[in-house]
Amino acid sequence: MALRLNLYHEVLKAKALKRRDPLKISIYGISGLLACFAFYYFFQLVRMHSISEQYAKVKGEFAQVEPQAKAAKKKEEELNQLAASSSQMVKRIEGRFYWAPLLAELSQVVPREVQITRMGGEITGENLRRCAIQVDGLAAGSDPRRVAEDLRTAIAEKLSPKYKNVTSTFKTLEDGSETVMLDGKPANTATFAITVQLFIGEEKKPAAARSKK
Amino acid sequence: MKLGKEEIQKIVLGGLLMLGVIYSYFDLLLGPLTKRAEQTQQSINALGPEIANAKAQIATARQMEQDAPKATLPMRQVESMIPEGAPVAWFPTRMTEFFKKQGIDKVSTRMTGETVEKDMPGFRKIIWGVDLPKVEFVTFGQAVAALENDEPLLEISAMQIDSSRDDVEMQHAFLTVNNLVKQ
Repeated sequence: MALRLNLYHEVLKAKALKRRDPLKISIYGISGLLACFAFYYFFQLVRMHSISEQYAKVKGEFAQVEPQAKAAKKKEEELNQLAASSSQMVKRIEGRFYWAPLLAELSQVVPREVQITRMGGEITGENLRRCAIQVDGLAAGSDPRRVAEDLRTAIAEKLSPKYKNVTSTFKTLEDGSETVMLDGKPANTATFAITVQLFIGEEKKPAAARSKK
Repeated sequence: MKLGKEEIQKIVLGGLLMLGVIYSYFDLLLGPLTKRAEQTQQSINALGPEIANAKAQIATARQMEQDAPKATLPMRQVESMIPEGAPVAWFPTRMTEFFKKQGIDKVSTRMTGETVEKDMPGFRKIIWGVDLPKVEFVTFGQAVAALENDEPLLEISAMQIDSSRDDVEMQHAFLTVNNLVKQ
């Protein structure tokens, strides 16, 4: 077997050492890593750019829509107020107390033996409206008190179907000092004052109480 | 393979360099970028519902605007019924003419009070006393019916009818009337 002498072993060893120089390998590794990082960073930059564009678009849209929305809200409030006023006006007109039907009803129940000398009435209240009427008059006949009583009950009966809680009471009922001619005969008289009270409308419901926990 | 002292130093140096690079990359470059992207995305997400709300608000207002003529018709009708000018200048004349048409010649109307309407902004209520010194009951009843039908802004709040001793056919009537007018 031939003997081989390697006179360059030191040079080869130095080359080998240079090849596996850790610093060089580290630099290669870092360079590779940096390339990856740079690629990823670039990808993120592109993504960020896309998000920024989207944000600018959304912001622009919002800037365009926001003043319109503010104006729309103001307009909506105005229209709501106008509609509420309109509805309140209709309610008010429809909730009026009408005197003409009441006068017609009263005139129908007054018999020929009665003369009304004075009649007055007044409306009070907002939602549930109270009407107080006073009817003063003179009743004539063989039993003038009975005639007045019949008128009082007739008023209550006539008005009850159309109004709420109708009450008809005598404020005064006194025998009259004078006599009158009725059907050619003298008749006794009685003076009376009837107070009639009735209601229309609905009582405003109180706000619902908070439920207890 | 046995590493020499110099090689170990280089490896440590290379490791430190790599750590530095990684730290700088994440902390100075990628970190702020990601943070900014997240913040921007959050802002976009936050603006989304606001834009939707704003669009809904605009749509609601447009719908209301379309429906408004129908909803406000009674108010416009009412406003057209009220003449311009001071009520004291036109209301007594209006009453006189009205009752004249109904066959009642003698009428005097006076303003007795005025109140602000809380529920009706832009309107006020004027209280009038309408005196009818000589009126026949049936004619009066018909006139009251016509008045209540023709004048929706008017309400009779009180009335008084007295019989006359001189003329049994005639009565003296007094109406207290509330009328809505513009402020």
